[in-house]
Amino acid sequence: MSNSLKGKLESTFKGVEMTLLKDTRAVVSAPKDSIVAILEYLKDKGFDHLALVSCVDWIEQNEFEIVYILTSYMRNNTDYSAEQWLHLFIKTRISRDNPELKSVTGIFENAEPYEREIHELFGVYFEGHPRLIPLFLERKYEIPPFRKDFDTRKYVKDTFDSIPSVED
Amino acid sequence: MPQITETARMGSTRELELYFGPQHLGMVGNFSITMKVEGDRILEATANPGYLHRGFEKLMEYRTWIQNFPMVCRMNVIEPDSMEMIYAMAVEKLAGLEVPERAHYVRSIFLELARVGSHLFGLWAYSNMLGFDTTAQWAMYHRDLVLDLFEELTGGRVYHIYLWPGGVRRDFPEGFKDKIVNTLHSIGGCVPDYDATFFNNRLFYDRAKGIGIVNPEQAKKFGATGQTLRATGMKYDIRKVEPYAAYDKVEWDVPTREKGDAYSRIWVIRDEMIESVHMIFKLLDAMPEGEVYNRVPNPFKWNIPKGEVYVRCESSRGELGLYMVSNGGDKPYRAHFRTPSYPHGLIVLEEALKGASIADVGNIMISLYVVAPEIDR
Repeated sequence: MSNSLKGKLESTFKGVEMTLLKDTRAVVSAPKDSIVAILEYLKDKGFDHLALVSCVDWIEQNEFEIVYILTSYMRNNTDYSAEQWLHLFIKTRISRDNPELKSVTGIFENAEPYEREIHELFGVYFEGHPRLIPLFLERKYEIPPFRKDFDTRKYVKDTFDSIPSVED
Repeated sequence: MPQITETARMGSTRELELYFGPQHLGMVGNFSITMKVEGDRILEATANPGYLHRGFEKLMEYRTWIQNFPMVCRMNVIEPDSMEMIYAMAVEKLAGLEVPERAHYVRSIFLELARVGSHLFGLWAYSNMLGFDTTAQWAMYHRDLVLDLFEELTGGRVYHIYLWPGGVRRDFPEGFKDKIVNTLHSIGGCVPDYDATFFNNRLFYDRAKGIGIVNPEQAKKFGATGQTLRATGMKYDIRKVEPYAAYDKVEWDVPTREKGDAYSRIWVIRDEMIESVHMIFKLLDAMPEGEVYNRVPNPFKWNIPKGEVYVRCESSRGELGLYMVSNGGDKPYRAHFRTPSYPHGLIVLEEALKGASIADVGNIMISLYVVAPEIDR
């Protein structure tokens, strides 16, 4: 299953590389422009459950890595076969200086809050997202707080040490 | 389904914006919903999390692998044990640690006890919100009996910090098996009472039937898992799909319902609780003797090799996942939790509330089993 998928993916899309890891994981690295097409293709192939959209800040390479984790729902109620174990990590790297990416909400609607979260916590802009409004945060931050160059401890000290304690 | 009238669509002044929570009697947890209503009908709902954002995932990047255990369990107040489990699983997979056979069984029993406790808490929340005070008090009392077991086993009632990469912290104390059996028998003996006062109660049936319907297509589209999905008829349970701990060692079944409404979801939760109790009995019988943990390297100097991992388990609310990256250091480089309440509380809830009555908002929200701290993290 995974070997034939590897061949098909790499021949259909340009610049795509699929690495099979041991146990049940496979990594698909792709350029950012083909992410939407790849996800659409994989959804047709039966990977219909987008479990998570995540972002990793690789500050030394000056890049963000957006990770889409795809698995499948069950075909029918008796099928607990190992095919469903396959986790696909679809990854793309984007520059930290201009973090922009196409939204995948058109294909997987449950990507909507994940992309909103990444927009808020990492400052990545998702083109075509229906509502990129704040999700968690109430304050404005100069650096989005989940980036590696945001120092939580310094921020806490600067912000909350200036508030007088109850005893004073 | 009520029709949205023409006047509402034209943007007439009959539309109101209404805030539901976080200070609202019908709201369980720090969470709020902004609703656009016309009369009693909800036209549009927006879920607002963020009242409880503690930035745990960022804080985890500042702490060593072992120091994170007391942190992760605080993400879900009601069922902290799945959080510990998922983190332990991720660390084990990254570091290549093995878990002894007996520890798998101890973990499964521990997690199933937590599931029973969590469902009883959920039953409290639901019946309390609908006004079934007697059932609510019973559920809270029975949950307390489960917490007593945890207290004896781990020393903590709510947060246990019992799991450890490579096993669990300590074996069952003497006579603990009998205590589990006795406690579960006394809870299970009350199932007919629960059925009579709550699950089969005509009042409850009328309040919950046909409310907050999520059909199978919607459930898949919005990434729903857990009871929300199983109430639409799919037997999707990570304990079966991708077995971990000792769940593949004993026979058990995944309870489902067909209708996808609040009533079906609560019945799935009820059946699941009973199935968990049976599973604990089977696990106790099948449990082998032996060690309960493997030695880990010195936690103060423990560097985990470079890599990334996505692990998942079935918490009492659905699929719980953890994506974790290590860059070869003594701390996680990045951790991202996929909590089940995240899709349920944000997009599934917004969809399920469309066309509902204001009186059913709390009803729908609790039946979707949303825990706000899980969303915010």
